[in-house]
Amino acid sequence: MSHRILIIDDEEDIRDVAALSLETVAGWDVVVASSGAQGIARAIEHQPDAILLDVMMPEMDGPTTFRELRKNAATQKIPVVLLTAKVQSSDQRRFADLGVEGILFKPFDPMTLSAQIAAALGWN
Amino acid sequence: MDPIEQDVLGEALDRMWAQFLPLMEERVSLLQNAAAAFSADTLSIEERQAAMAAAHKLAGVLGTFGLTKGTVLARELEILYSREGGPERSLSPRLAAAAAELRTIIASRK
Repeated sequence: MSHRILIIDDEEDIRDVAALSLETVAGWDVVVASSGAQGIARAIEHQPDAILLDVMMPEMDGPTTFRELRKNAATQKIPVVLLTAKVQSSDQRRFADLGVEGILFKPFDPMTLSAQIAAALGWN
Repeated sequence: MDPIEQDVLGEALDRMWAQFLPLMEERVSLLQNAAAAFSADTLSIEERQAAMAAAHKLAGVLGTFGLTKGTVLARELEILYSREGGPERSLSPRLAAAAAELRTIIASRK
């Protein structure tokens, strides 16, 4: 089944590889944003099935972006999967406490990224 | 995913690596410059934060391109630079060696 995914990440290399992976491996429709503010606008406009959200971004970081998405009636029901290079358990607990649907870690495997997202969201 | 699709993705990743190689090299240069500044005891807080960010970005991406050792080294540097007050003085040679090894690893990927 095809899905539309919004990738929000300020790092162009990560954003492009993730988009390539999801389009090539899973055939999903991908929308990208390079900042939290742009991501919120694109989420409202495109109404994706899920959002892959980077944690460390300048200006509006991932957790702040997530809270803003949840406050907005147009985006509050869109599931969010965090993508982070933070591996310390204290960070992981903090992210889990936010209420996101899943947490994935960088570096990711481009061959299995879509399967990891699908598993986190319960997509079969 | 069948072998043909894997090849398509692999080739596309190779093209992306070529596209982003200058960015990777720029991040490593920043780490090498930071190591040199730390050795000379001139590393500013801003430079240390920039080194930490560069290491964080490399740690997050190198493994995606198959350079797992690169991610391990970059993560080590991120941790060293993120220590409150900066890295311990005795680790100066390690900062330089890890950055140099990162450059070798990046140069080795086709």
